Amino acid sequence: MYRSQKLSLRYYTAAVTLFGVMILFGLLSALYYLYPSMLFNVFNFSTSKILHIDTLVLWLLMAFLGAVYWYLPKELEHEVVGMWLAELTFWVFCAVIAVVAVVFIFVQYGPANDFTLWFINQGRKYVEAPRWATIGVVAVMLAFAYNVIATCVKARKMTGIMWVLALDLIPLVVVYLDAFSYDRNMSTDLYWWWWLVHMWVESTWEVLIGCIMALVLMDVMGTSRRIVEAWLYIEVMLVLGAGILGLGHHYFWIGTPQYWLSIGGFFSALEPLPLLGMVVHAIYDAGSHRLKTTNRPAFFWITTEAFLNFIGAGIWGFMMTLPQINLFTHGTQWTVSHGHFAFYGAYVCGVIAVFYVAKQKTSRAGMLDGRAWKWSYALLNIGMVGMVMGLLLAGMAQAFFGRAIGGSTLMAFTTASENPWFVSGMYARMLFGLLFAAGYVVLVYDLLTSPKRVATLAMQPEPA
Amino acid sequence: MTPAALLETAVLLGLFVLAGGGYGGLYSIGRIAARPALVRAGYVCWMVALAIALTITLATPLGVGWKLLILASALVYAVIPPMTWRFLERTHTDEGLGA
Repeated sequence: MYRSQKLSLRYYTAAVTLFGVMILFGLLSALYYLYPSMLFNVFNFSTSKILHIDTLVLWLLMAFLGAVYWYLPKELEHEVVGMWLAELTFWVFCAVIAVVAVVFIFVQYGPANDFTLWFINQGRKYVEAPRWATIGVVAVMLAFAYNVIATCVKARKMTGIMWVLALDLIPLVVVYLDAFSYDRNMSTDLYWWWWLVHMWVESTWEVLIGCIMALVLMDVMGTSRRIVEAWLYIEVMLVLGAGILGLGHHYFWIGTPQYWLSIGGFFSALEPLPLLGMVVHAIYDAGSHRLKTTNRPAFFWITTEAFLNFIGAGIWGFMMTLPQINLFTHGTQWTVSHGHFAFYGAYVCGVIAVFYVAKQKTSRAGMLDGRAWKWSYALLNIGMVGMVMGLLLAGMAQAFFGRAIGGSTLMAFTTASENPWFVSGMYARMLFGLLFAAGYVVLVYDLLTSPKRVATLAMQPEPA
Repeated sequence: MTPAALLETAVLLGLFVLAGGGYGGLYSIGRIAARPALVRAGYVCWMVALAIALTITLATPLGVGWKLLILASALVYAVIPPMTWRFLERTHTDEGLGA
């Protein structure tokens, strides 16, 4: 095993741990909707939500870095250059996250001055980490970019996937720099802030996970390089064509010029079309393998990704992306429902597949299967679908009663929040959230124990 | 837009994409399993998607531009599964990996 693959396992461990922290604070945040005065002025909803969302971003990012460190030496047939730097930055990354989490939990916020900005909370949604920590994240990203590019140069080898990955590193680092800037004008500030949030998640990350999935498909399904690279180039074209200007759907109501309504609506409406192509491709691949594989969990999670990406991003997104509808739905639980489903479909399923790829290789299991992964697969998927249905119900109640009937006043918001449809949706989200958490526990159990049980199964005699 | 029209339009938009996805899914499963009945069921899904697109065009308060976009999308949905399938077959055959 390459040294960078050992580092990759550390990244996966950190990612799975943060995945658990994300779920924990997600459940806590869900409880606030049922008991709004819970922990008032002790540990407020806002802090719980920050920890839920920030750990979401961080655990996925760590898993992406881990996946790249896993495949990089294999793809280039060369150990990663600057491993000492990669290992150092891993611990820097972990330390940054731990310190920021402790500050968020125990200090939470401070007065509106430079000290707070630098050491407590930047105060900008999703990039709340104080400035020193933001500098740390940039350093980690720069080191990662160096590791990838220097390895390509040293190996004197450049595949199509590596070209795409190397080019994607530019926005991965540069767009994040937007986390430093702010403007006193709220519209201008949000205009650039969305570059960071949207461009990272719906463009840069999509290309990154596309590269990772291309490598996983070659590994798990034996798909040819020519095929996965062809699809990767198509994805890059679609990201450039629809994903970037799809940014416009965040510009509808922040004080930007009216033409963003047309641009945002048009390009967002195009987004389900490539996802339909992905569904067709997933079925073709699954069928051509007759569902036979040596790594069943990875295979099923990869296939599920295509379907849930289509449903979460495609169907859920299209329901609310046109400006006339979005006027009533933005900022409600409807958006939250779409966000949960789209993230899960686009990234989480793929990342879990990557965990199982590493598990199979490290345990040297010829065949990875068993019961536990099926339980975790079922619990996580049913939990997620239940949560997003509950959130959708609650969001529709908010849009209908609070926005369309009530006219978006504070009283209408309060009334809608007490509406039985909204409350039922919140209870459903909580219950299915617990189911999702149970799925996570089984996933961790399976990742930690599957090699032993597979080895035991392999020793059993064939039935007569 | 009335409160009822809001929910009706949003649900129709979601069902439109769902029917398009049903078409893609059934068409592909029918092709891979050599089950023409499933492929035909896929075409029915596309017709449902088209019917929903027409309903959106005629019965919802969306702007004209959005209605035209949805109608155009319905036509694009029709070609995506067969076009993707042909591309997949061609690339896999070239690589000797045909399904």
